[in-house]
Amino acid sequence: MEETDICRNKVNRWAGVLIAWLILSKAAMADPSGAVSNPPKLQLVTAVMCEDIVNRLPFNEAVVFSIANGKVSCFTLFDPVPERTVIYHNWYYRDDLSTKIKLLINPPRWATYSSIQLREADKGPWRVEVTDSDGNVLQTIRFSITD
Amino acid sequence: MEGLIQFFREIRWQDVVDIGLNSYILFRFYILFRRTNVFKILIGVALLWVLQQAAGYIGLIVTSWVVQAITTIAALIIVVVFRNEIRSVLQAKNIRSILWGVSFKQPQTPVQAIVESAFDLAKRRIGAIIVIQGKESLSEAVQQGIPCNAVITREMITSIFWPDNPVHDGAMIIDGDKIAEVGVVLPLSLRQDLPTYYGTRHRAAIGIAEMSDALVVVVSEERGTILVIRGNQIQRVLRPEELADILNAHAGAEGKQDVAETRKARLEVAAAALVSFAVITGAWFSITRGLETLTTLEIPIEYMNRSPVMEIIDTSVSSIRIQLSGSDTLIRSVRQDQVRVRIDLDGAIVGKNSYTITNENISLPPGLFIKSFQPEVVEVTLDTPDRKEVPIQVDWTGKLPENLRIESVRIEPARIPIVGGGRILSKIQTVFTEKIPLDTIQSSRMLSVNLALSPASLKVGPGFREKVLVEITVKPRESRKEGIGQPISPQ
Repeated sequence: MEETDICRNKVNRWAGVLIAWLILSKAAMADPSGAVSNPPKLQLVTAVMCEDIVNRLPFNEAVVFSIANGKVSCFTLFDPVPERTVIYHNWYYRDDLSTKIKLLINPPRWATYSSIQLREADKGPWRVEVTDSDGNVLQTIRFSITD
Repeated sequence: MEGLIQFFREIRWQDVVDIGLNSYILFRFYILFRRTNVFKILIGVALLWVLQQAAGYIGLIVTSWVVQAITTIAALIIVVVFRNEIRSVLQAKNIRSILWGVSFKQPQTPVQAIVESAFDLAKRRIGAIIVIQGKESLSEAVQQGIPCNAVITREMITSIFWPDNPVHDGAMIIDGDKIAEVGVVLPLSLRQDLPTYYGTRHRAAIGIAEMSDALVVVVSEERGTILVIRGNQIQRVLRPEELADILNAHAGAEGKQDVAETRKARLEVAAAALVSFAVITGAWFSITRGLETLTTLEIPIEYMNRSPVMEIIDTSVSSIRIQLSGSDTLIRSVRQDQVRVRIDLDGAIVGKNSYTITNENISLPPGLFIKSFQPEVVEVTLDTPDRKEVPIQVDWTGKLPENLRIESVRIEPARIPIVGGGRILSKIQTVFTEKIPLDTIQSSRMLSVNLALSPASLKVGPGFREKVLVEITVKPRESRKEGIGQPISPQ
């Protein structure tokens, strides 16, 4: 009975040491200087409107698009992407929300895009608001659809 | 009988005042102008109007038109041709005599003073022309007279014709018991049968006597003789009694006063008063009790007592269609600005306010009635002024050349404050420019463009212009190319 108690005490002691080591080592990894630092934030590097995406890159970046092209795309590049998350492309015609597109992005760096098909009624000024998962606007891109 | 009782019940006190006041105004016009040529012409115009109505009634189209044209011209002629007579009538009267009082007596010309003056002037060899007005006004026949309005006395007449007096060369006009004008220029007679020794003075005296019913006394400067001229008759007077008889006879013809004359004058005035009343009553009936006619007017709504901290942002309608009824004359003469629709915004709140229109909201000219109106409810949206800074975006139109693309646009300033109703501003996130045509764009350039603020109640904030600079970067449109890829997720 006593032997059992002694063993349990030893296990508890080693568990305490292990937890303490883990906490200290995590703190040391986070900031070598010893100070507490924030985790890297999601950063939007590029946000452009383009006629198409070719070889994973925006093709013919512009701010005015002819309806004859048939579609228009919004290309966004995030670097870094700290964790797997979602972002949104909110498409507004004039000041009215036309469509909200949810896109998944992954660490460490990710590019993604959304497109809309153009109709005759779409002519006019547009904007795309790129937001994070919480709805914070990261950037607004303005463009027009014309003849 | 019942109809008559019903009619008297419908009469308002305003109608009685209306008829009474206008009858009196017409009567006063008669009193002021009854002995003038203007009055005769007015009677003529009135008869023409009656003739025109009769011609129209029986279908004489051309006659009706011609008489109408003559009536219109005659009304102008009265004002232009008889302006002097109208002026002299109004100038000769004071306000009291214009508005009140009727004279039944003709003023008596003091014959003795004129006789004594004439013989005194003849004795002194001083020339004179004394024109004693008859029933006809002389204002249109004579010129350049100086109004005098003096009491007739021997001394006054002598002094007027005294050689050193500036007005001694002209004629004197006597109207009733007053010297009306002096220094008057008379029209000369064109008669060829006059004695050669008759000078300008005699020819002027004969000229005015030919043109009017006035009696003229002429004193010759050279011979010291006295002539009395009336119509075409020239008579030399040798004795004062003779002249007095002639003057008395002239005065008696125009204004001999006795009880019968006064009674006649009173009857004339009473008849004029009755005619005035009848004419105005007839006119009142024709205007207010004519055939019932309907008309519809589109009346803009006026808003009153708006709180100074609020603005009218929107209204469901801007005008009310009102159907009115009334006599044909009133309906035809009603103007849109005489009918008003007012809504009291006292107590209105921010947002939509609903008002039911009642007859209380509509004001009409007297004699017109509301049959119906549409709509019966007006919604008024009020808002408080606010300010908001918004980004500016270019609004493009047309088609860019196939080989070009607009890579980027920079707007200066990129954002602008706008002021307007808070509710409207809350819905606005972007201000757009006026449409910029793409067809003419060939290269990068800078443009100055107006903003297209909508709704119009929005304004650019103080210190800012409604114009912005737009810098366009134009690049060639690229053909398809290969590029290095990044991890990418399709839509």
